Amino acid sequence: MALLEVKNLDVRFAVRGGDLTALRGISFTLDKGERLGLVGESGAGKSVAAFSILNLIAKPGYIAGGQILFEGRDLAAMSERELRKIRGNRIAMIFQDPMMTLNPVLTIGTQMVEAILAHRKISKKEARAIALDRLQKVQIPSPEKRLDQYPHELSGGMRQRVIIAIALLLDPEIIIADEPTTALDVTIQAEIMDLLLNLCEQENVALMLITHDLGVVSQVTQRMLVMYSGRIIEQGPTREIINDAQHPYTQGLINALPQMGEPGARLFQIPGSMPSLKNVPTGCPFHPRCSFATDHCKRAMPEYVRSGNVDVACYEVANLIEQEKRMQEAES
Amino acid sequence: MLAFLVQRISQAVLVMFVISLIAFAIQDGLGDPLQEMVGMSVSAEEREAIREELGLNDPFLVQYLRFAGKAVQGDLGNSYFYSKPALEVIAEHLPATLELVIGASLMIIFLSVPIGVYAAIRPQAWLSKFFMGVSTVGISIPVFLTAIVLIQLFSIGVTVSWFPDDTGWGQWLNDFFTTEGGLPSYGRGDDLVHLFGTWESGLFTAEGLAHLILPCVSLASIMLPLFIRLIRAEMMEVLQSDYIRYARAKGLAAGRINFLHALKNTMLPVITVGGVQIGIMVAYTILTETVFQWPGLGLMFLEAITRSDIPLIVAYLMVVGLIFVITNTLVDLIYGLVNPTVKLTGKKA
Amino acid sequence: MTTATVSRWDRFRESFFWYSFKRDKVAVISFVVLMLMVLSAVFAPLLAPADPYDLAQIDILNSELPPVGLDGSDPAFPLGTDAQGRDLLSTILYGTRVSLMIGFGAVVLQAVLGILFGLLAGYLGGKIDAVLMRIADVQLSFSTLMVAIIVGAVFKASFGNLMFGEIAIYMLIFIIGVAEWPQIARTVRASVLAEKKKEYVDAAKVMGFGTPRIMFRHILPNTLSPIFVIATVQIANAIISEAALSFLGLGMPETQPSLGSLIKSGFDYIQSGSWWITLIPGLVLVVLVLVINLLGDWLRDVMNPRLYKG
Repeated sequence: MALLEVKNLDVRFAVRGGDLTALRGISFTLDKGERLGLVGESGAGKSVAAFSILNLIAKPGYIAGGQILFEGRDLAAMSERELRKIRGNRIAMIFQDPMMTLNPVLTIGTQMVEAILAHRKISKKEARAIALDRLQKVQIPSPEKRLDQYPHELSGGMRQRVIIAIALLLDPEIIIADEPTTALDVTIQAEIMDLLLNLCEQENVALMLITHDLGVVSQVTQRMLVMYSGRIIEQGPTREIINDAQHPYTQGLINALPQMGEPGARLFQIPGSMPSLKNVPTGCPFHPRCSFATDHCKRAMPEYVRSGNVDVACYEVANLIEQEKRMQEAES
Repeated sequence: MLAFLVQRISQAVLVMFVISLIAFAIQDGLGDPLQEMVGMSVSAEEREAIREELGLNDPFLVQYLRFAGKAVQGDLGNSYFYSKPALEVIAEHLPATLELVIGASLMIIFLSVPIGVYAAIRPQAWLSKFFMGVSTVGISIPVFLTAIVLIQLFSIGVTVSWFPDDTGWGQWLNDFFTTEGGLPSYGRGDDLVHLFGTWESGLFTAEGLAHLILPCVSLASIMLPLFIRLIRAEMMEVLQSDYIRYARAKGLAAGRINFLHALKNTMLPVITVGGVQIGIMVAYTILTETVFQWPGLGLMFLEAITRSDIPLIVAYLMVVGLIFVITNTLVDLIYGLVNPTVKLTGKKA
Repeated sequence: MTTATVSRWDRFRESFFWYSFKRDKVAVISFVVLMLMVLSAVFAPLLAPADPYDLAQIDILNSELPPVGLDGSDPAFPLGTDAQGRDLLSTILYGTRVSLMIGFGAVVLQAVLGILFGLLAGYLGGKIDAVLMRIADVQLSFSTLMVAIIVGAVFKASFGNLMFGEIAIYMLIFIIGVAEWPQIARTVRASVLAEKKKEYVDAAKVMGFGTPRIMFRHILPNTLSPIFVIATVQIANAIISEAALSFLGLGMPETQPSLGSLIKSGFDYIQSGSWWITLIPGLVLVVLVLVINLLGDWLRDVMNPRLYKG
């Protein structure tokens, strides 16, 4: 059994004049100690997916259907009380902007100790010792001093180290990291990402990494999901997708990466932009930007088809597989 | 800390200088002190002699410096009406106003925080909507009108006979809308306790407290809706912030999130705005004290205006200016102590 | 920016405006009530049964008659009479007229001062900004009502009661306008600071337009929505300030009453049981201020750019 199994998750936003669908039919799994990448443009629903796992979607968003099975228990159907025992304890989160994540009027120590005391019946002193240990693990200089400092006294990189330390406080099974380095200076992004990966590996924590950076995903994750307009359009082993992307959108994303060692080469661009939630096109949401689009694509959302170890939702890919199969049959 | 104090004190001196200049200009430009001091029978020559003697013919700057020099020594001239030092008159009236302001402030703090927080946490609850509706209406009612309605209801009393008296429900409704009245609505009562100096307090006797009720409720009524709306708005904004969502992601209990993480951040802007509101409250004491004939500074000031008691008007302006300067400094100091991102140098770190 | 896009944008906004107005029952009711009050105030000379300014029409024997429905009422005076025997309905109609005139007048003055100083402070910055905003800060910390009371007291003392009574309307417009300008100036300054950074201002500068032209023709139109919102609320505040000043005897004289001075003159008779002289004008004042505030709240909701997020 997978550690985390999301089945057919639907998330909607209740707004004036009806609901907007933010996530539709999201299904994926995460195994113990696995590193999973979640990529897509901004607005594709990556963050919504990340936050919906612990039911932390901002209002007016709500989970409209599906299951989120963590060790077999459905988080989507759990009471707030039960869910609280899992948040921060079994599944920890790392937010995007370390400047906004820590409470400006409470000391680092307070914010670390309270997280421990929310889940463990131990003394403040013991909790403080754990906090200190985790600060040492994230290699923060003079950790003892940090406990009594306020967030504004720390740099962005240090704050993100603190947040990683908080994520590790209670030895969680899963860490969900929502663009953990995007808000940082480019020079320290790699440093923080290395730290996070090393610690996850050391402690055997599963990592769900949300990012728009295909480069990072290809380097650090074992499996990846590609999201577009609230749907997963392709998922499978990272290496297979990067080397041989099936979905036209994924291909576009990969072609849009600047190629190393090819100075002067034109950057590829996917024409158009992702539709807003308010006017998602019928059928395959990518069809207005897709050069392979047919009338069929406008009519209905394609089902997933399997190509190698990759699941893809695309009629064109399905057709190709079908043709290949027929050719093989014809040969034999 | 020292730098902060020096900066604040120099600012305060500057503000007091401007206020004293305005106050003196009023004194200089307004009315003729001679008219108040001597009768109609005095001849023009005699008047001129007295003017010269009093220094009223000196240039503006000389007169101002004399005025300022005396003011620093605590001499703001004699009140025409009371025929004693204006500051002494103010000292006699100050305690009544202070007790009124303290009573109203306590009511505001102990009601606005819980109501504002509740309305922010449960914006959809009918009780929240009720509180917000009442405060919208409350903001539109001038303080003197609230005071008049309170007097009608709880001092004079209202007898309602709109419903048929021979049915049980009619009688019940009539009784429900009928108010007894009887609460005092005039002055502070006779049963005051002498504390020290000029401080006669009404806080320690049943009669004194009874006299405080209606004026305090009136004064509080104008600020309460403002504070409820302010606290609710700030709290709702704070609740949207990333660090609150992060606190939830850490698995903290709702109580800790709302009352520590959110409330502490909510109170920062509320403290600043609250400091400004103290100034507005002083203005409202003039209205409240007029309605209730409360023998405080506000009533004294208004009477001084009708009596053209210029030294007393000027002294009032100076003292009120001083109160503003002191409270604003205190508010900044408290803000600096509560907000860790402000170092007490007056600048954001 | 071409004219076609501007008018289309305007049309869109008007339609959104209209749409959210229709949806909001509170806004519609407030607007209707306000319009009724404004119209009956404007046409008070035609609607009022009596002219309260005309001493010949007043009979002191009719004083303190209660409203219709109470013992001893006279159908000729539907809302009763005041202590001088004036028809309360008529004095209220005329009083609403005076209150509204002062409210609008004071806000026009505030807007002129506030926009001018706000634009100067925000656009020019530097010393002008520092001085203007310092004055605004001190004035606000002293509270606008306090400033108005002091200025009113000084004026009254220097003009004398009689003279002050004659020009009271203009005095009050001046006093309230001057006391409240920082409210609008701050709003304007804040939006100017935000607008100043935008590209179209740079573009206008590059095209060689002069500072006044950029300030009034380019930046000002883009700060109008917040000014509009705050001006609405300020009308309500000005009406309350006027009532407060009149209640303290620093405003309209009893011979030319506003709602505030009606409440004041009635207050002296509340202990003798004639509650209507003070409470009926009081109710009218509250309704007037309430509907303006409710419309202001609605405007704030509709125009607040934060709500456009989604």
